[in-house]
Amino acid sequence: MTAVSTYLLTGMALFLVGLHGLLTLQSMLRRIIAVNLMGSGVFLVLTALAARVPDADPVLHALVVTGLVVSISATALALRLHGAIQRHREDDDS
Amino acid sequence: MNLALWSMAIPLVSGLVLLLAGPRQVRRWGGYLTLVASMASGLTAWYALQSTTIQLRQYLLLGNWEEGLAIRLELTTLSALLLLFTALIHGLVALYARFSRHGISHAYWPLSCLLHGTLAALWLSGDLFNLYVTLELLGLTSIALLTQSGARAWRPALDYLLLSLAASLCYLLGVAMLYGQYGLLDITLLSDMTQNDGATRLALILMTGGLMLKAAMWPLHGWLPAAHASAPTAVSALLSALVVKGPLFILWRLWSEVAPIDAAVQAGPLFAAAGIAALIGGGYASLRSPYIKTLVAYSTVAQMGYAMMALGLLLFWQHPQMHVALWLFVIAHGLAKASLFMAAGEIQNTLGTRRISALRGATQTVPIAMFAFAVAGGSLIGLPPSGGFLSKWVLLGPLLNDPWHWPWAAGVFLGTLVSAAYVFRAVIMGFDRVHIKRPDLNPDRTAQWLAMLPALLVWAMALSGNWLTAWLGGGGI
Amino acid sequence: MAIAEIILDATLIGLLLVMGLGTLHTRRTGASIALFAGFGMILALVWARLGAPDLALAEAAIGAGLTSALLLRAASITEEEEISIPARRQWLSWLFVAVVFVWLALHVIRLSTPVDSPSLPNLVAGHLADSGVDHPVTAVLLNFRAWDTLLELLVLLLALLGFRQVARRNQHPYDADSHPAPWPLLKAWSRSLAPLLVVTGMYLLWRGSESAGGAFQAGAVLAAAFVLLRLSGQLPVVHWSRWTVRLAALVGPALFLTVAGASALAGEGWLDYPDGMSTPLILLIEAAATVSIAVTLAFLVSGEEEDIAE
Repeated sequence: MTAVSTYLLTGMALFLVGLHGLLTLQSMLRRIIAVNLMGSGVFLVLTALAARVPDADPVLHALVVTGLVVSISATALALRLHGAIQRHREDDDS
Repeated sequence: MNLALWSMAIPLVSGLVLLLAGPRQVRRWGGYLTLVASMASGLTAWYALQSTTIQLRQYLLLGNWEEGLAIRLELTTLSALLLLFTALIHGLVALYARFSRHGISHAYWPLSCLLHGTLAALWLSGDLFNLYVTLELLGLTSIALLTQSGARAWRPALDYLLLSLAASLCYLLGVAMLYGQYGLLDITLLSDMTQNDGATRLALILMTGGLMLKAAMWPLHGWLPAAHASAPTAVSALLSALVVKGPLFILWRLWSEVAPIDAAVQAGPLFAAAGIAALIGGGYASLRSPYIKTLVAYSTVAQMGYAMMALGLLLFWQHPQMHVALWLFVIAHGLAKASLFMAAGEIQNTLGTRRISALRGATQTVPIAMFAFAVAGGSLIGLPPSGGFLSKWVLLGPLLNDPWHWPWAAGVFLGTLVSAAYVFRAVIMGFDRVHIKRPDLNPDRTAQWLAMLPALLVWAMALSGNWLTAWLGGGGI
Repeated sequence: MAIAEIILDATLIGLLLVMGLGTLHTRRTGASIALFAGFGMILALVWARLGAPDLALAEAAIGAGLTSALLLRAASITEEEEISIPARRQWLSWLFVAVVFVWLALHVIRLSTPVDSPSLPNLVAGHLADSGVDHPVTAVLLNFRAWDTLLELLVLLLALLGFRQVARRNQHPYDADSHPAPWPLLKAWSRSLAPLLVVTGMYLLWRGSESAGGAFQAGAVLAAAFVLLRLSGQLPVVHWSRWTVRLAALVGPALFLTVAGASALAGEGWLDYPDGMSTPLILLIEAAATVSIAVTLAFLVSGEEEDIAE
C-alpha cells in the first residue's frame, strides 16, 4: 500500500459516499453538498494519479483547477435555485 | 478546418456581443443578430462540409503543439454535417422565437447563441477532457435557458442540474481512469492503445453511465420530461432537438474509437436492448401523458431509443450502414422534434391550456399548427417519404436480410406502432369538431407557419437522401 | 515510507472520510456546513501533501472559502426538513455502496504505478521553455490546453447568467432579513482585511507565471475581498445594468476569443501564439481572466437583488 493507492481509494470512497448521498438524502441542501463531495472524490483521484511521477503531473493539476471552478459555479447556481424554491413555497403557504 | 472553427466562433462571439449590449438594444436587434449569426455559421459549415469531400478527415492540434500535448480538434464529414444541422435548427427556432407573438425575453438570444457555439465546440473536439468541459458548458447553458420560464421551471432545473453534475463527474472519473492507465486524453491516440481489460471496461462503464444520463437514455431518462416540458417553447425545441444529441455524439466516439473492438461488440446488444426498452417505455408514457408538451417530451425519450438501437447494432456488427442510420435518425428527429415542440407551444398558448384534451377541434381553431404537429409526427412514425422513414429504412435494411436479426426488426416495428399510437391520439382529437375548445386568443398564423417549417424540411430530407447517405457513408467509419 | 508520513496520511484520510460522512449525515444543518468547511481545509492540506500547491491555494480560496460562504447563506433561509429513510433500507444501500467500492477498488488500485509509454509530464517539461511561462501548471492552463480554459471561463459566465435569471424572477429580495446591519467590528476588520486580500490576489496573479498561483486563485481571492466589503456595507451597489460591470465580467472570455480568432486569421492557427509573443499574451489574458473571474465569483457569492436587476 503506497500513499498514492490509499489516496486513490479514499477518492473513490468519497465519490461513492457523495453518490449515495445524492440518491438517498431528502434535503436539497444535503444533496448539493453530496455532489460537491463526489467532485472532491474525483479530484482526489486525479491528484493522486498526478503524484505517481516524481515532479507531480502538471496536466492533471490543471484539469483539477478547471474542475474546481466548474464545481463552485454550479454550486452557486444550485443554491440560488434552492433558495428561490424555498421562498416560493413560503409565499404559496402564506 | 478553419471554416469549421469560424462556424463555431461566430455564434460564440455574437453571444458575447449580445451580453455586452444592453437589454434595450437586444430587444431591438438581438433576434436579427442571432438569425444572421446562425446563417453565417451555417454557411461556413456548408463550405467546411464541401472541404471534407476532398479531404475526409482533417485535424488541428491547437497551438501547434505535439500530438498528445495539444488538444486536437477534428473535422470529419459527420462533424461538418452536425455543424450545419445545429446552425439550421438554431436558425429555424430563432425565426420562430423572433416572429411569434408569444416571444421570449431578451435574455434568450445570447444564451441560444452560446448554446450553438458550445455544441459546435463539442462536435469538433477530439479530446476526452475538452469534451468534459463542453458537456458542463452544455449543461449550464441548458439550465440558464430552462430557468427563463420562471418559478415553475425551478424545481426541474435544480433536479436537472444536480443529476447533470453527477453525470459529468462519473464521466470525469472514467476519463481519470483512462488517463491513469494510458497517460493520454487524445481520442485518436487512445484508440490505438486501449486493451480490453477490467480497468478500461470500468472506465467505459462510468463514462457511459454519465453520458446516458445526460442524453436521457432509458433507463436514465427520468429527469427529461419535467425539464423539457417546463421550458419556454423555443427552449424546449432547442433542448430536445439539439442538446440531447451532444452526449450521444460523445458516446458514439467513445465506443467506436476509444473502446477496444471486442468490448464494443460485447456492449452492442445491451445498447440495442435498452433502445427497444426506451421505444416501448417512452412511447407508452407518451401515450398516457395528460399534457401536450409532456407527450412531446416523452416522445424524445422514446425516439432516442432508435438512436441507441442503431448505435448498439453498429457496435455489435460493425456494419457501416448502421452508422448512416444513426446520424440520419439524429437529423430527422432534430427537425421533427423542433417542429413538434413549436407547434405544441403554439397550440397551448392559443388555446390557453396545457392539457391534451384541449386539442379537441384544433384542426379548426389552430389548423396550421395542428397540421405541423401531424406532419412532424408523421416523420417520427416513419411514414414515407419523410426523413424518419429514410433513417428507419436504412436501419431495417440489414435487419431484414437475415432471419436471425428479425427479433431486432420486430422491436423497430413495435416502436413504430407505439409512436403511431401517440401521434394519432393527438391528431384524432384534433379532428373532433363536436367538443371544440374555443381559443383564448386569435391564432397567430405566421408563428404556426414557422412551426411548420422544420417539419417541411424533414419531409424534404428524403429528396436529398442520396447525398446524405453518401456523405455519411463516406466519412466516419 | 517514513512512519511520520504514514501517521500524517492516516490522519488526513481519516479526517476526510469522517468529515465527508458527517457533513451529509449529521442531524443539524449548521453542523453539516461547519463540517463541510473543515472538509475543504483538510482537502487543501491533502493537496499540499500530494505536491499540488496550486490546488491547495485554489481549494482554500474556492472550495473551503467561497463554497462555505455560499452554503451558510443558503442555510440561513432554509429550514431543514428532517426525513430519514427507514433503517433497513439504509443498511441495504450502504451494503450496496460497499460492494461497488470493493469492485472499483480492485481496478483502481492497479493504477497506482505510473504508465511507462508516452508520458504527458515529460512532454510538458520538454516544451516548457517554448510556452512563455516557467510554471508548468500555468503553461498547461494558458498555452498547451488554453482551449479548455477559454471554455471554462464561459462556464463561469453561464452560471452567472442562470443565477441572474433565477434572481430576477424572484419578486422578493433574496434575503432581506438574513442581511442585518453590519456590526462595527466587521467593518473595522474588513477595512484592514480587504486591502490585504487585494494585495494577495495581485501577488498570486503576478507569481502565477513562475510558481503556484494564477488567474483562478487570484480571482477567487479578489472575489473574497469584494464579498467582505459588500457584507460590511462598504461598497455601493454594483449594477449589472451598467455596461462597465458587464464588460468586466466578459473581458476574460472576450479577450481570449479575440486572441484565438486573431491568431487564426493573421497567424499560424487557432490559439497558436506568434513566436516571442507568448509571454505578454499569456499575461494579458491572465489579467483579463482574473478580472472576469473575480467579478463573476463575487456576483455568484454575494449576488444581491439590486446588483443583478436590470
